[in-house]
Amino acid sequence: MSQTPLKPLPLADEITGGYWEAARAGRLAVQYCPGCARYVHLPADICPGCDNPDLQWRTVSGRAELYSYTVVHDAPAPGFADSLPYIVGVVELEEQAGLLVTTNLMDVDPDDLRIGLTLDVTFEELAPGTTVPQFRPRKA
Amino acid sequence: MWEYRDKVAIAGIGYTELIRRNPRTLASLTVEATDAALADAGLSRADVDGLATTPTMPVYGGEKGNQDGIDVVTPAYLAGALKIRDRITWLGNTAPMVTHAAIDAVNALVAGACTHVVLYRALHMPRGRYSNFTSTHASGKDQFFAPYGFSIPAAWAATVARRYLETSGAKRESFANFVVDNRERAHLNPNAYFRGKTLTRDEYLTSRMIADPITMLDCDLPVDGAVAIVLTRADRARDLHNPPALISGYATSNHAGATGVPMTLEDIRAGAGATGERLWSAAGIDRGDIDIAQLYDGFSIFTYTWLEGLGFCGPGEAAAFIDDGNARPTGSLPLNTGGGCLAEGRLHGMTQLTEAAYQVTGRAGERQIPNARRSVVTVSNGLAGSTAFVISADH
Repeated sequence: MSQTPLKPLPLADEITGGYWEAARAGRLAVQYCPGCARYVHLPADICPGCDNPDLQWRTVSGRAELYSYTVVHDAPAPGFADSLPYIVGVVELEEQAGLLVTTNLMDVDPDDLRIGLTLDVTFEELAPGTTVPQFRPRKA
Repeated sequence: MWEYRDKVAIAGIGYTELIRRNPRTLASLTVEATDAALADAGLSRADVDGLATTPTMPVYGGEKGNQDGIDVVTPAYLAGALKIRDRITWLGNTAPMVTHAAIDAVNALVAGACTHVVLYRALHMPRGRYSNFTSTHASGKDQFFAPYGFSIPAAWAATVARRYLETSGAKRESFANFVVDNRERAHLNPNAYFRGKTLTRDEYLTSRMIADPITMLDCDLPVDGAVAIVLTRADRARDLHNPPALISGYATSNHAGATGVPMTLEDIRAGAGATGERLWSAAGIDRGDIDIAQLYDGFSIFTYTWLEGLGFCGPGEAAAFIDDGNARPTGSLPLNTGGGCLAEGRLHGMTQLTEAAYQVTGRAGERQIPNARRSVVTVSNGLAGSTAFVISADH
């Protein structure tokens, strides 16, 4: 029996679990520190600003702008060989300057990419029970 | 200013040939490079009482083993291979890069922990693909990158290069200018893998894309090989074969940037800037005292961000600086005068250190830059884990 290799699946841990739980429920949630009123990503055990250990998961708008991107032509893992070329985007969430998230960009031609493109979150089920946030251009 | 400025010197350099696959063991190559460096300095194994390296292979997949002498060469293994175990008084085994081991070796020498250190780097091409994330799951930071196919450094550097192009208005043709010009340097470097292998602009512009705009020719070249340098106190070095190449200062970067992505253009430029300030302060000089630059080119874009971060040109101006010929041997700042790791081979920063030492001691042969008395050396991308040095001629 031949099997298509899967893309690597995120292995949630004590710190990151809230991110993937929210994604499974179709929400983009980012850690938030009430103490210094800032979002934190990647998820952290304590706030990098004020050492607060009680960071909260806060659902965000899913609205973002494209900060940078690359069109990948060389598969970094067996599960990407059938997807080439694909786009990796670095997106800045509208909630906070410099709040960057790595994603694939869906439903867009590489020639139409430019920094500043407005994007919305969507979700992709990579495997049963594992959903990851993805982004695509905002529809006019 | 650093109290031990110019108190430690590079006294000898030894290379094996750098080729894509060598049937010999990595330990055997390391012994050869060590003996060559000692002979260059006018020393023998009996003089060595310190050994230092970073005995690891890069991560990111590939079938990399961990067998000492085959896949890596630890200082303890090398001491045995050189038959000098009983003479050794200091071993340095430092992460993350061999230039951190270089800093430890300098400090061990000024502290009197040893008298002659061989600092070496042995690297080889693993079986299979160099980068290959074969795990079914990704943990730690990887869980936010690998599921998106973002687990190779070339793709991270590509997001830096893409933002550089879009924000500066530069074109890929500038990268072509840099990479093609850089290849010319290799033809005058006897150690370089790409010596005698010409490269045209068309070949660059049509070369295989890894992660747009990073092509395979924007990535340093994985090789089998080893390089070693002999470090000793400057007062001892003055009695040896070669003029000493003085360590005038060093700096490490601890710059932390955004964490949602492995690296950003703005963060690596800021990290390069902070590292440069520390470096000039340690060496007691300023940027204007630098004659030549050996800037890390694990990916071509990093030379641009180091040029800008160190202040040799303003943000977004490195492309024009290079396009105008300033980085050529006859330009205002001769850059990567031996071809860097893009054209010499992947030695994790040793390329930059050895070329600086050859140049400031007037030992660079056909590629010698006249009056090159001070070189800046940078290694890695400017973020935490990076290192920088000033290497100077004796005074």
